[in-house]
This record gives sequence, C-alpha cells and structure tokens, in this order.
Amino acid sequence: MSSPMRKVSLRNLAAHKVRLALTVLSVVLGTAFVAGSFVFTDTLQKTFDGLFADAAKGVDVRVSGLEKGSSGVPLSELPKLEAVDGVRAVVPAVDGPIVLLGADKKPLQSGGAPSIGLSYTPPEQALGDPDVMVAGAPPAAPGQIALNEGAARKAGLAVGDRTQVLVPTSGVIDVTVSGIYQTPSDSGGFVGAQFDGAQARELFTDGSHVDYVDVAGTGVSQSELRDRVAAALPDLKVDTGDQVREDVKAEVNSALSFMNYFLLAFGAIALLVGTFIIYNTFSMIVAQRLRELALLRAIGASRKQVGRSVVLEALIVGLLGSALGIAAGVGLAYGLRAMLNGFDVGLPSGPLQLEPRTVIVALLVGVLVTVVSAYAPARRAAKVPPVAAMREEFSSTGDSLRVRTLVGAIAAVVGGALLLVGSRGTGGGAATTVGLGAAALIVAVLLAAPALSRPVVGALGAVFAKPFGPVGRLARTNAVRNPRRTAATAFALTLGLMLVSVIGVFGASAKESVNSLVDNGVRADYILAGPDSMGVPLGAAAAVEEVPGVADAVELHGVAVKIDDEEQFGTALSGQLDGVLDYTLEEGSAELVGTNMLVSRTTATEKGWRIGTPVVLTDRDGEQVTTNVTGIYADSQLLGKWMVPESVYEQVTPAAVRAVWAVLIEAQPGADLAAMRGDLAAATDKFLVVQVKDREEFKGSQGKQIDTLLAVLYGLLALAIVIAILGIINTLALSVVERRREIGMLRAVGMQRPQVRRTIYLESVLIAVFGAAVGVLLGVAFGWGFVSTLADEGLDVIAVPWGQVVAMLLGSAVVGVLAALWPAARAARTKPLEAIAGV
Amino acid sequence: MSSHALGAVAVSTETPAPTPVAARAQNLNKTYGSGDTQVRALDGVSADFARGEFTAIMGPSGSGKSTLMHCLAGLDSATSGSVMIGETELTTLSDKQMTQLRRDRIGFVFQAFNLVPTLTALENITLPLDIAGRKADPSWLDNVLTRLGLKDRLDHRPSELSGGQQQRVACARALAGQPEIIFGDEPTGNLDSRSSGEVLAILRAAVDEFGQTVVIVTHDPRAASYADRVVFLADGHIVDELRDPTAETVLDRMKRLDTVDTVSVDGQG
Repeated sequence: MSSPMRKVSLRNLAAHKVRLALTVLSVVLGTAFVAGSFVFTDTLQKTFDGLFADAAKGVDVRVSGLEKGSSGVPLSELPKLEAVDGVRAVVPAVDGPIVLLGADKKPLQSGGAPSIGLSYTPPEQALGDPDVMVAGAPPAAPGQIALNEGAARKAGLAVGDRTQVLVPTSGVIDVTVSGIYQTPSDSGGFVGAQFDGAQARELFTDGSHVDYVDVAGTGVSQSELRDRVAAALPDLKVDTGDQVREDVKAEVNSALSFMNYFLLAFGAIALLVGTFIIYNTFSMIVAQRLRELALLRAIGASRKQVGRSVVLEALIVGLLGSALGIAAGVGLAYGLRAMLNGFDVGLPSGPLQLEPRTVIVALLVGVLVTVVSAYAPARRAAKVPPVAAMREEFSSTGDSLRVRTLVGAIAAVVGGALLLVGSRGTGGGAATTVGLGAAALIVAVLLAAPALSRPVVGALGAVFAKPFGPVGRLARTNAVRNPRRTAATAFALTLGLMLVSVIGVFGASAKESVNSLVDNGVRADYILAGPDSMGVPLGAAAAVEEVPGVADAVELHGVAVKIDDEEQFGTALSGQLDGVLDYTLEEGSAELVGTNMLVSRTTATEKGWRIGTPVVLTDRDGEQVTTNVTGIYADSQLLGKWMVPESVYEQVTPAAVRAVWAVLIEAQPGADLAAMRGDLAAATDKFLVVQVKDREEFKGSQGKQIDTLLAVLYGLLALAIVIAILGIINTLALSVVERRREIGMLRAVGMQRPQVRRTIYLESVLIAVFGAAVGVLLGVAFGWGFVSTLADEGLDVIAVPWGQVVAMLLGSAVVGVLAALWPAARAARTKPLEAIAGV
Repeated sequence: MSSHALGAVAVSTETPAPTPVAARAQNLNKTYGSGDTQVRALDGVSADFARGEFTAIMGPSGSGKSTLMHCLAGLDSATSGSVMIGETELTTLSDKQMTQLRRDRIGFVFQAFNLVPTLTALENITLPLDIAGRKADPSWLDNVLTRLGLKDRLDHRPSELSGGQQQRVACARALAGQPEIIFGDEPTGNLDSRSSGEVLAILRAAVDEFGQTVVIVTHDPRAASYADRVVFLADGHIVDELRDPTAETVLDRMKRLDTVDTVSVDGQG
C-alpha cells in the first residue's frame, strides 16, 4: 500500500476520535468475552491440576469397588492388602457429607464446595505431605474434630469450642474442636472435619466397607505394586496412582471444557452482535466520506487503493480493539472469579493464566471480524465514481431491497414451516428441525428487516411518536430514512432479546410444568426437604410421625439398579402412595409391600411386563433381588417409570449411599394444619437442615432454582444487550454528524434545543422498540418450538412470560432513550449556522 | 410545542407596533480568532433596514456581508455592538429566546434550500409553524401557495422537485409564518438563471404584494437589481449604498470597489 493512502487512513481515524472509540469499543466487548473465558478456565484448570497433583500425592495404588456406586472395598480385605510385599502404608478412604454448625448455631454454608467429614490420618501413615496442625491437637477420641483453617475461620470456631455436626445417616453429634489444620485443598467454602479413625468409620461407613483404599509402596514401582495387589485382591479394581491422577484430571478437564464452551458461546454471541455494529459503523463512515473518497479517486487513486484504505482502517480498529479486549478479558476473568468466590462456590485461588493461545485467538477473532465486517463497505467505497466529488449531494441509494427481501420472505416461509413441523414432534430430531427453522427465520429477519422497518416503525411511530406532533413525525421519518441502517442497528438488539426471550420461555415453561406437576401429583400437606447435597437426614421421617395430626410420613428415595443389563432409575417409598401422591391405577393394586413393583403404562408396554411378571433388579455389587409387577399406573412425571417398597431399596442400595429425597407428610382429616406446621418444625429442628414446606412453598423453592439458573444466563446475555446499546449510540452519533446541516436548519427556523433532543430520543426509541419487538417475537416463537419438543422430558406445559415480554418492550424504549442521551446532546449543540456551513 | 413559556417580556410573539425600521445594526463588530490570526469580519457596521423594503447586501469575498446577515438574523452573535429586530435587542437574548425569535418573527431562505428530505413539500412549508405548535392561517397559506405555483407539488418530496421548485418551497416556508423579516443567504446561488428569476420575482412580490421585509446577501448584480436598495460592504465596513438599482449600476459600483474577485464563485463571503 502506498504511504499517502495510509496517511489518509490514519489521519481519518485520528480526526474522528469519538467514532473510533465507539467502533473500538464494540470490538473490545466481543473479544473481552472470548479472552475472559479462556483466561478464566485456564486459571481454574491450572489450579485444579496443582490441587489434584497434591491431593493424590504419594498414592501408588488405589483399590476400589469394580463399579461406581457399589459398596466399595470390604474392610475385611485390608489385612490381605497390608500383607502384600512392598506395601508401606494402607489408608482406607472414610468420608461423607456433613453439616457443621458455626459458633452462631447456624449451619455453615459451603456454597458449591464440599462439606465433608473424614478420618484423621496420622503423619506416619500419610501417603503424601501430611496435613499440618496449626493449632491444638489431632482428634484423639470420639467427639473430637480437627477443622481446616478456612472452615474454622468462617464458622468462628476455635480450639476447645463445642459445637454440633449433622451426619445425614447418623443424625446430630456433639463435638469439640481439638485442632485446626492446614490443607492445600482449602478452597472457597470447603469444610473438612477430621474425626478420629474409629468414629469416622462408624459415621461414614456401613462398618464393613470403604469407598476405596489408597496404598503407598516402598522399593517397588507403581505398576509392579499394582500387579501384586491385583493378584491378592482379584475381585476389586486396582489402579496405579498415576492413573488415578490422570482420571481425576480428565474428569475436571471435561467439566471445565464444558464451562469454557459455555462462556465461549456467549463470547460468540457478543462478537456476532458486535459484527453488525462494526459493519454498520464502517458503512456509515464510508457513506459520509463519499466525497472525500471520490476526491481521492478523481486525483488518481485506484479502486484498490481506496478499498484498501478502508480495510486498513478496519485492521487498525480490529487490532486496537482486540488488544484492549484481551486486557479487559483478564479483568473480566478476575471479576468473575471474585464474584464466584463471593458466593463460596469453592473455587481454588491461583494466579490468573494468560496463555499465548488466548492472545492469539482473541487477536485473530477480533481482527478478522472487524475486517470482514468492513469488507462490504470497503467494496462500496471502491466503487465511488470520481464525479461524486463534484456533485453537491451524492446519495448512494444502494441496491434495491427487492432481491434481499424476496430471499428473506422465502427463508421466512421455509423457517416458519420447519418450526411448525418440528414443534409437533418430540425428541432430538424434532428439536433439530426447530433449530433449523429458527436459523432460517433469523436469516429471514436479517434479510427482510430493512423492508420490514418501514411499515413496522411507521406503525410504532403512530403509537409512540404521534403524541409528540411534528417532532414525532420528524423522528419517525428519520428512523426509516435509511432502512438498511435502521435494520442493522436494530438487529443487534433483536439477537440479544431473542435469546433472552427463548430462555424466558424455557424458564417460565419449566416453572409452570413443575407447578402443574406438584398441583396435580402431590397430595401431601407438608413436604420435608433438605439441601441438594444430602437430602433429608435419616430419622426425620420417624421424628415427624410422632407429631400430633400426622397421619403418615413417607420417605422418597431414588433407586438405581440394572434391569436386563440396562441402567434403570426408579423411586422407592417407605409407605403407601395413597394420601401423599395422586395417581391413576390402571391394573392390579397400588400396595407397596414385600417385593411388589408398580410400573408405568409406557414402561410396562415397552418391556412387555404384565401383572405378575417377575423383574430381576441387579445392584452395583452384583446382588440380585426379584420383584413382581403388582400394579400398572398411568404415566406420570412425578411417579417415574417404576416404584418399589423401601425394603427392596434397602436390599439394592449400600447403606453408605442411602439418601432421602424428600418426606411427604399427610395430615389426619380435620387436623389443624397451621398448628401442625409449628410442631413439624420443632420436631425436625434437631436435624438442622430440614425445611418444612407446604405445596406452594415447595413449588416456590423449585421455581427459585430455575430463577437462579436464568439469572446467570441473563447476566451473560446482558453483554449482548450492552453491545446492542452501544450500536444504537454509534448509529445515532454518526447520523447526527451526517445530518448536521439539517439540524442546523431546524435550529435556524426555530426548533428549540429540547425539541431537537426529543426528536433524537424518539428516533432512538423507535429503532430500539422495533429491534426488541422483532427479537421478542422470534424468541417466543423459538422458545415455544423448542419447549414443544421437550414434552417427554417433563416440560409439558408451555408458558410465555408475558410480564417479562412487556417489561422487555418497555425496557427497550428506556434503552432507546438512554442510548440517545449523548447523541441528542450533541445534536442539540448544533449551531444554526451549520445549516449554511459547507459540507 | 410552544409550551415553553417565555420568561422574558422582551420577546413577544405578537407583532409589535409598526416602526419604520424592521432591523437595525449599530456599531457592530465581529472578530474571529485572536492575536496575529485575528480577522475582523465586521468593523463598526451600522445600518437600518426599513420595513416593507427589499434590501440586497453585496460585497466581495471576505467583505463581511454574510456575517452581517447572520448577526442580523440571530444565527450568529456579534463580538460587540447591538442588533435590533423591531423593538427587540438581540444581543441580550438567551439561546431559547433567540430560537423563538427566529421561529416566530424571522423567515429564512438558504442557498442550499435546506429542505428536510423525508418530509413532503407541504410538510416542509409548515415545519416552522408545526414546531411552534401554531396553525397556519389557511387563507394566507393558500394565497402564498397559489402565488408561488406550488399547489400541485405539495405531496412531492424534495428529491422529486427541481432546484427551482425546491427553492420556491423554501420561500413558501419562509413566508408561511408571516414573519417580520425574511433573510436570504445567496438564495439564487445554486440556481440557473431562469429559476433565479422566478425566486427573485417571488421575493419581490413578497414585498410588493404581501408587504414583507426582505434582506438578501448576494454577489449577483442581477439579483441585486430586484432590490429597492443595495448596501455594499468591503473589509467589514459599509462603503456604499444604492437606491433603485439596475444590474448595470450595481456592476458599476462593484467595479469601483476595486476588488479583484468581485464575482467570486465563493458564496460564503
């Protein structure tokens, strides 16, 4: 490229700093998210890698049950293990979930981090670096615990303090803090209470099994030791320590890569939205510089040179934006981690990792997107005829909208048809059809939006702008003056709000579905619920049976077994269905006793089961229990595929992993429900974590979980909305510059500054509401389509969050005004003399 | 949109008692820049513009003729001196009051027409009235539209009109509100001679038939010949004045001003 052209590009960038800043900002926001997600996950990965290298440090061989969820390693095998030649130390893993009471007598929240009780390992038996006691002494007798530093600090407990620990399988235990220790895995909200060996075994094992046993060798290689141990214990799974560490690492990595993809998806959305803004900005810049470009052509610059000078500008903007974006990404990752730590999600802390890969990807993506976005405008710039420099007004009307509108209309018909067809089916195929339809409709809107903007903005204008008289009319006509620009500006908001609406429909439908499930399926008057990590502690059901007015308290368990060599999940009840759950019995009896099994109509049909069919359940240890089908009920999401009595559950589930999902409570007829509630709360008080809920509260707590999930998604999508707002600001600011003369004339013939501002506000509102309306419409349609295909997954009620839809449309109007604040102020400052000043 | 009640009594939308002078400049100075680069665009200019008269301001490029008009019309502020429109002193007005004065008491015709491209001819014509929230006097508007030959063009957009037609629309816009005074900034600068003739005839008729006051800036002796009076500026001073001019007498005076680029292409002065 010749240097004079480069000079023109550079001077041009320097001369329009505000424009440059806005364009760069849109690149920054997109790349920041890409860089931020990489930095965040790289950092986590690095820290986790270190952590697990530490955690399984010194482990040469790990012995575990053949399958996950099996009883594990029988303690009776330990002597055999110790007898293997070359074994230095044998450490059985004894741990389980607990709830620790803080100094304030309230359960200590660990956030997402583990809260576990475990067995104290004396330093001489430790496989890796032993935990260091920083205060007090290790637990030496039952009733003593050592706490990790982080937990002790958060709980406000010191050596010698007395408190309580809830173990779901054993109840509440009084303990004294004997010591405080330091551990490398002390992260976020982690709680690790060490008990002495005997008590740990009593609390966290069934007395005869442990999950796994770690072994350290001496004077022998890992693989050699593994072979020797495997020979001694042929019925158990034996891995080398390296293998264990690899497995753990792989597990963490796959969890992290999901997170990475998740964050990158939002980065991609941000970039996509940013693309439209960059494209729009360059289009407008080229349009405004037509005379200048034509002048360059007239004095001999070639088409190529003119085109290149625009691309060069894009390149500089892209580089600058990406570089800033990477810096912002590091900040984003830092903020994200700080926020998650604030919630005690249990993330370990470590230095932020900025890998070369992150820098390269962010730079490439940022520069490519910018240059590609500027390519079309650059081509247009190259086509400027030299005579345009001489003409007073050179308006590039552009190509007719007819072709693109026609293609858009065809895409709309195809997309609409696919959406309708897909929504009639269920499952993956149908969802794919809906997805294709959605993609086609997005393309359709992208193509047809300019043609669509005139009638739609016209109609919106009739509502929003009419009350503002001539100012409103000016705003309305300005909003559709350049339909392409209006459409591209609005499209950023369309994409953002489309995604928000899809998620909104999902959330509302999920909540509605849960509500209807509870309304139609649950008859219980009260429900006992516990934390997700442990469920309701055992014994709570027995405790509430004693409460006056309680007719029945039924425990619900999840059952996992193999039937016909296939993993199957069912439900187990400690009592009878009647009174607590609604169901429709189609055949046989609903009595749950002995080895009875109730199955749903669909399961019965699929398996070919009939009343009296024997069904063999195989548990994880390979033990078998034979049940008989005694009843068939109409399909119900709540009841699931099949049900067995508690006795069967206990036979197929190792004691250490038994858990209670919830306890359903039926009141005696005529019982005083309000009074009963207090009694129930009192009866379950000693279980610390048990909550008493009526049906409405139970629905509410389910809805709350969905809301939390939605909040995270909305938070991430907010970025796309922010970029869309920047796009509107950008378009308006450039439009104001473009219309300087016209605004000057309006000022000259007597338009007051507030009127000028109001015109810009209204124009902005019209563009924003247009974009939002299209986005919400698409989003609701897509959400409806997708949810329809999920009827089998429990989303059998489709709900549109109308309140949210209205809020989004009103919000977009507010956004419109906010985006217009600065451009409007600029416009209002236009001097009347601008009407006369040369272009 | 006239809800912004005006605080000052000085500016009234009602037509003040007729005085012989529609606009008056007194000892007007206007300087641009400072120090060595300081330019004195107006240097102690005093002039009266009589009601019901058509005045042309002429002068070579850089003579200050456009600056004078901008100051008179409230588009620009003078460095010192006073400007009166009717009985109103402009130099003490706030931006809001000045805007209202332009809106209600002044009409403009620009060189580049300056119509809003998205509005129809009629909408452009009534724009200042609409902005003010006033209704046009229907018989007056009808009269103006008929006289300007625009009745069959009212639904056209500016892009569908010729230059001459656009400038006629601009004239109609200036006349529609029955202002006290109409200013024209090189109103024929962008027109061919036939269209120029039409527009100047309209401005002449505005004075003769509608009793308006018109002040234009021009460099075209033929345009100036439509005026009742020509004021000549050079180097920020009023240097000469001519009554009942013809194109020849104007050209003659211009030559005597002894400036090379008398017929400069630059319309900005």
